[in-house]
Amino acid sequence: MNYAALRRPLRPLARILRARDTGEDPEEIARENLRLRHEQIALKARARAESRLLVMGLAFLCAFCVIGLRMGVIAQTDPEEPRAAATGNPIIGQRADIVDRNGRILATNLDTHALYAQPREMIDPAHAATELVRIFPELDEERLLRDFTGERRFLWIRRQISPEQLQAVHDIGEPGLLFGPREMRLYPNGPIAAHILGGASYGREGVDSAEVIGTAGVERFFDAYLRDPAREGEPLALSIDMTVQAAMEEVLGGGMTLLNAKGAAAVILDVHTGEIMAMASLPDFDPNNRPPVLTEGDQSDSPLFNRALQGVYELGSVFKIFAVGQAVELGLLNANTMIDTRGPLTWGRFRIRDFHDYGAQLSATDVIVKSSNIGTARIALQIGAERQRDFLGRLGFLEPTQVEMIEAPTGAPLLPRQWSEISTMTISYGHGLSASPLHLAAGYASLLNGGTRIVPTLLRQDGPQQGERVVREDVSAVARDMLRAVVTRGTASFAEVPGYEVGGKTGTADKPRPNGGGYYDDKVVATFAGVFPANDPQYVIIVTLDEPVETSGAQPRRTAGWTAVPVAAEMIRRTAPLLGLRPQVELATLDGVVVSAEN
Amino acid sequence: MSYLEYNARYVPVGFRKLLYLNWPVIILLTAVSGAGFLMLYSVAGGSATPWMEPQIKRFGLGMALMLTIAMVPIWFWRNMAALAYIVSFLLLIAVEFFGSTGMGAQRWIDLGFMRLQPSELMKVGMVMLLAAYYDWLPLKKASHPFWVLIPLFIIVLPTLLVLSQPDLGTAILLVAGGGAVMFMAGVHWAYFATVIAAVIGTVVAVFESRGTAWQLLQDYQYRRIDTFLDPSNDPLGAGYHITQAKIALGSGGWTGRGFMQGTQSRLNFLPEKHTDFIFTTLAEEFGFIGAFALLSLYALIVLFCVISAINNKDRFASLLTLGVAMTFFLYFAVNMSMVMGLAPVVGVPLPLVSYGGSAMLVLLIAFGLVQSAHVHRPR
Repeated sequence: MNYAALRRPLRPLARILRARDTGEDPEEIARENLRLRHEQIALKARARAESRLLVMGLAFLCAFCVIGLRMGVIAQTDPEEPRAAATGNPIIGQRADIVDRNGRILATNLDTHALYAQPREMIDPAHAATELVRIFPELDEERLLRDFTGERRFLWIRRQISPEQLQAVHDIGEPGLLFGPREMRLYPNGPIAAHILGGASYGREGVDSAEVIGTAGVERFFDAYLRDPAREGEPLALSIDMTVQAAMEEVLGGGMTLLNAKGAAAVILDVHTGEIMAMASLPDFDPNNRPPVLTEGDQSDSPLFNRALQGVYELGSVFKIFAVGQAVELGLLNANTMIDTRGPLTWGRFRIRDFHDYGAQLSATDVIVKSSNIGTARIALQIGAERQRDFLGRLGFLEPTQVEMIEAPTGAPLLPRQWSEISTMTISYGHGLSASPLHLAAGYASLLNGGTRIVPTLLRQDGPQQGERVVREDVSAVARDMLRAVVTRGTASFAEVPGYEVGGKTGTADKPRPNGGGYYDDKVVATFAGVFPANDPQYVIIVTLDEPVETSGAQPRRTAGWTAVPVAAEMIRRTAPLLGLRPQVELATLDGVVVSAEN
Repeated sequence: MSYLEYNARYVPVGFRKLLYLNWPVIILLTAVSGAGFLMLYSVAGGSATPWMEPQIKRFGLGMALMLTIAMVPIWFWRNMAALAYIVSFLLLIAVEFFGSTGMGAQRWIDLGFMRLQPSELMKVGMVMLLAAYYDWLPLKKASHPFWVLIPLFIIVLPTLLVLSQPDLGTAILLVAGGGAVMFMAGVHWAYFATVIAAVIGTVVAVFESRGTAWQLLQDYQYRRIDTFLDPSNDPLGAGYHITQAKIALGSGGWTGRGFMQGTQSRLNFLPEKHTDFIFTTLAEEFGFIGAFALLSLYALIVLFCVISAINNKDRFASLLTLGVAMTFFLYFAVNMSMVMGLAPVVGVPLPLVSYGGSAMLVLLIAFGLVQSAHVHRPR
């Protein structure tokens, strides 16, 4: 299309001149040109609009075809029966069960009802309130009556009620009292594994269902996972063995009472897979009825506090094996190298003493067996701060454990602000660095399982962990022999359980006074860290007692050898068969028998 | 170029105007509304109450309004365009302060006899103003940045108000409808290409950013997108509508279960079964044939409007007709796509079929304008 008229002037000079000659009216010519111009503008607009309309038409057509096709596709798919009746309330009530490693139920759901009221529907609010208080004595009748007769259209009365209560409320015959079906979380084993499981409560609550959400522990950590509808209620399998857990809690509870401790914690860990077979902290609670969080005072006094995971303590002499093990790894010594144990060892204003005087020197094995602070500190000096820090880091002591519980990050180890030489020495015998019993279990497992790092886990595993190497295999064997010797002829002699060849190390650490005021004389944390069987390690066991006192003798005894060790021995005696270990026939040692060809 | 510059040879007067109405459109509108009455009767379980009866009353009122508007010359409506827009805009602001809240969003002003949704009114007001604007604006200025900015404000201001209600569906309809009018008016295509590219870029960025430190949306917003992409992920939660709708559509098959035989009418599977999701009932009871027939009726309405617009030399009239047709098209296309899982659930009713007063009245008013444009076209 040629839009010449658009650019042509309205009064072309030549045309006007010619017009003047012929006597035409120039205004007439201008008007005519203007008309032409407008016509062409309209034509141009129309052409533009037409092309736009074509594009639009194409879009219309596409949309029409897509929608039509979609109708066809849907129409020819197989009809499905509608799956669920709409409640107008998309709250998902289902939550997967939690089971132990053998499929025993640790947490499950129970159908129950909530009780609510719609005061507008009520016939006799006063009677209803009286009757309700008879069934639920903890309710306040006056307040109920106020709610029932006031402006409220809806109120919850109880979040969950038992079948008997339901029947009783039903018998009141009040149409304004209604029941909402919902699920509740049930822990059929009561307080067993309470800290691991944590607990659950209601999230969003609706009349037809309510959301059950985890409040602590595994329940909280795996909350989204447990509620994921895509998993179709497949249970979550934990690593713990419920029978072992139950036996451990029983023994630990007995030991704590007997030894007048204010708290206790224990862990049994598979040294190859990193699976936590059992983990307990006392005092405990019933997750079906979780106690409220303390609003004042020290949270570590609450039964909710998980000492095995969150409780970081200076664990004492149990750390010595790390220093000696690292020294062997570095080639600084072997099991028979003699170590200078003359004391006290003075370093600046610090003096390091031993419990007894062990003479001028001890072999490396005997430093462990007799638990010499001075000997260990001298070994640590040879290792040096840098290498010690690095080694403990590889054993997992410098960061919170990665275990699958929501509280794990709160169990952060307390490290010295400055890793000086004196810190190196004190840490070598377990002071100046606070860690949780679970840290210790992981460290022992990594050192003793042949020397590869394991990370403790609460999920059932299919095979051993392939962690990075921490020490050589022969170093691991040397460490095991030393720990075995501690039991056969050292501070942990009570730990001997015939047939299970227990090895281990005691640790008795004075508790620090709050606010950095030195240490208590009469309050200790007693720990036994053991491994069994020592010739082919399968499990690591940690028992920690908080402020134990053994009072059967003339003097109160607090050392781990008298407190934590017997508890651990009993625990091993009870749990080893449950763990599937058979007692081994131990060959009588042939010491003193001389085999001779003479005579 | 405006209407007054044409040398109209003949304009019908008085009741003779009735002869020149766009009758096919009126018949199609009645047919679609009739289908709507049937469906409302069915979802109520075979009862005229609570939905069919008021719907019929409103249809009668709407038809009367439409014819009245059709009798008034189109140039009068062109002069009213700015007023209509301003009134709608003020009502939109008013609803922010005095509106009632329904379904979690503030959308209505209660007029006593009916609830008015100003956002519906705005759809018409905006199309009118844009058509009048481009009628007034010389064509060669249409693509000038400054003259593009003005209609942009006309579109964006009410959209923001609607978004704050929040009503995503209407906001999308406003933007798309206004954009369509601008496109038809001949604004340079590069503007549209830029906007579309920007939208695509934003969508890509939103998806790419997921899980990174600069994540653009909240997690729950991503979950909504996930649900749209695969509703079976969350069959009882946010995907519930879509899953149930698809089941209903699938169970209709090619010929449907028969009138009043749908599960939707007897059981309570779908919330909002009489409003945004009424199409599922229709598809279940009348199958593919019924659904496709309804789609075709809608398409025919659009087609007749477009034909009327092509044959109309007046720029305002033809832009207005196209704008109304486009808005109408967006209504049913978005609703059907959303019900059939082609688009996210944004809350757009099925025009003339879904139960609801404002939408029906406003649509019929808009078609009254289309009729007026048709009757008073230059001949």
